[in-house]
Amino acid sequence: MITIAFIKKEIMETWRTRKILILVIVFFIFGILNPLTAKLTPELLKMSLKTTIPFPDPTSLDSWLQFYKNISQMGLYLFAIIFSGTMSHELAKGSLTNLLTKGLQRRVVIFSKGFVLFGQWLLSIGLCFIVTLGYTHYYFPDNKSPHIWLALWPLFIFGLLLVSLLLFTSTMINNNFGGLLGTVIVMIIFNLINLYKGAVNYNPISLVSKNLTIVKDDTKFFDLWPSMCITVGLAIGLLYLTVKLFDRKKL
Amino acid sequence: MNNAQLLLDNLPLLIPLVILEFGLMIAAVVHVLKHPQYRFGNKVLWLVIVIFFQIIGPVFYFMFGRGETA
Amino acid sequence: MNMLELKGVTKAFGAKSVLKDLNLIVPQGSIFGFVGENGAGKTTTMKLILGLDKPDTGTIFVKGQQVNFGQTATNQVIGYLPDVPEFYDYMTATEYLQLCGEITKIAKQERAEKIETMLQLVGLPNNKHRIKGFSRGMRQRLGIAQALLNDPELLICDEPTSALDPEGRHDFLQLLTRLRGKITILFSTHILSDVQTVCDEIGILHHGQLQVTDTLTNLKKTYLKPQIALTFQDIAQAKAGQQLIINELALIGEVQENKLLVSYGSDYKTASQKILSLLLTHDLVPLAFNQVEPTLEQIFLQVMQS
Repeated sequence: MITIAFIKKEIMETWRTRKILILVIVFFIFGILNPLTAKLTPELLKMSLKTTIPFPDPTSLDSWLQFYKNISQMGLYLFAIIFSGTMSHELAKGSLTNLLTKGLQRRVVIFSKGFVLFGQWLLSIGLCFIVTLGYTHYYFPDNKSPHIWLALWPLFIFGLLLVSLLLFTSTMINNNFGGLLGTVIVMIIFNLINLYKGAVNYNPISLVSKNLTIVKDDTKFFDLWPSMCITVGLAIGLLYLTVKLFDRKKL
Repeated sequence: MNNAQLLLDNLPLLIPLVILEFGLMIAAVVHVLKHPQYRFGNKVLWLVIVIFFQIIGPVFYFMFGRGETA
Repeated sequence: MNMLELKGVTKAFGAKSVLKDLNLIVPQGSIFGFVGENGAGKTTTMKLILGLDKPDTGTIFVKGQQVNFGQTATNQVIGYLPDVPEFYDYMTATEYLQLCGEITKIAKQERAEKIETMLQLVGLPNNKHRIKGFSRGMRQRLGIAQALLNDPELLICDEPTSALDPEGRHDFLQLLTRLRGKITILFSTHILSDVQTVCDEIGILHHGQLQVTDTLTNLKKTYLKPQIALTFQDIAQAKAGQQLIINELALIGEVQENKLLVSYGSDYKTASQKILSLLLTHDLVPLAFNQVEPTLEQIFLQVMQS
């Protein structure tokens, strides 16, 4: 019951502070940009190179390439910016103190926030996906992207890690930039790990960078099993650490 | 394909895109002007960020720039 | 039974030790005034009681149950009013109390009625205004409402009156008086007149320890000396008067700017007659002459000096 009450509070917060509105606008924009970029890139190249050599016509694959590029290079960080201070803001302001002294358990705060954050990640990705899907069907009615639904799953799973990471860093660092900073640092680490080719299928970052190969070939999905397991494991571990960290926090 | 036709062909994409991007930008510009208390930076800095950095500029302002009494 | 008991509690922040072997007992049903200058450790003590911070040594019991840092079991009988209550600005007062009610597990059927009663009690309207636009006083009222919502057995208020205007202060003290006997109240302040108005028992925190705990009447008996205040035209006159009183009457006189405070042992009438006639024969005419209302300030200052 208390968990539900706090989840309701979190939903009200994201609604009334217009975070969710910003999220919807931003991911809707990306949804439009994906097919548009796919469509315009050859035209722009033609114009700027002033050549008459025919470029291959863009396909649905180009649109989905943009989708995964935009999510992994922009969307993810915008999500981190929007929820960067989810814990630190409340800790700095002292708004949680009141509720904790009423018997609200500290871990309930973490779990409820995590739940609502993950819901919003699903919403953002889902919305962006639907918009991209609609336009892609309209502009590129081909069958070159057979497995778009399957390729979406790794993205959802990566969200678990992103949410845990935001909770952990914004609990640890008493600053609104904490969550963003943590996300950036971890993404840099993941990219460095990828320099070692053998690690690719184990690296969580593959869940947001290898999706296009799944769109083309569904058997590639299973190559990512180790990476999915590691991501879920890391997410759970971080969530556990966040609870421990918050329990020790003096308010 | 000439430019006019290119534009016409892409209208279903361009119209909502322009509405959303400008909507976000205008909302941020209005907010910057109406609430001159920022967590850091000044009015000119935030106007530049909000107008010239599409999407990320307004989001950055709304999350980090706007003052507590927003 | 004791509602609250602190045994040998110490707490230091880095090299600065705030509480040194603090012992405190608040009996059930009393209103306990927790007095001390700013930075004496009043807020720290409260945070320890609430399990928001961890004492370095010592134990704390609320209603016989030990308080553990980070745990909230003992909080269920406590209502807490922080010095600056922080809420969620995007909620209305009713919505905030609703959230508090759900957290403290008030049954759904009772909740709406209870919230309504609380809002009336503290004088906040039940409307759609968000907390964002609330004044300092309104926030304090909401703070009281949330602290009392779950019928706590122990109410802890941290400097509740310091931010209120005189009217709000009066209302708040009235409210505390109405709660007398129903619940136990621990009430920190540095405004001594507040304590005088409502408290049964007073503890003075100084140098990390309770220097004194007693009832107001007993404290007055032990520490208060009756005084007469004489106001002169300037300091020179006041000092001249002081010399006379010390030399001729063997009384203790203290000069504060152009005021002369005389402590007397006998009754007011004889003392004032003696002092006045002495001064008049020496051509020293005071501008004002009055009996000093005994205040806790004096007790407080004496305790701090000793």
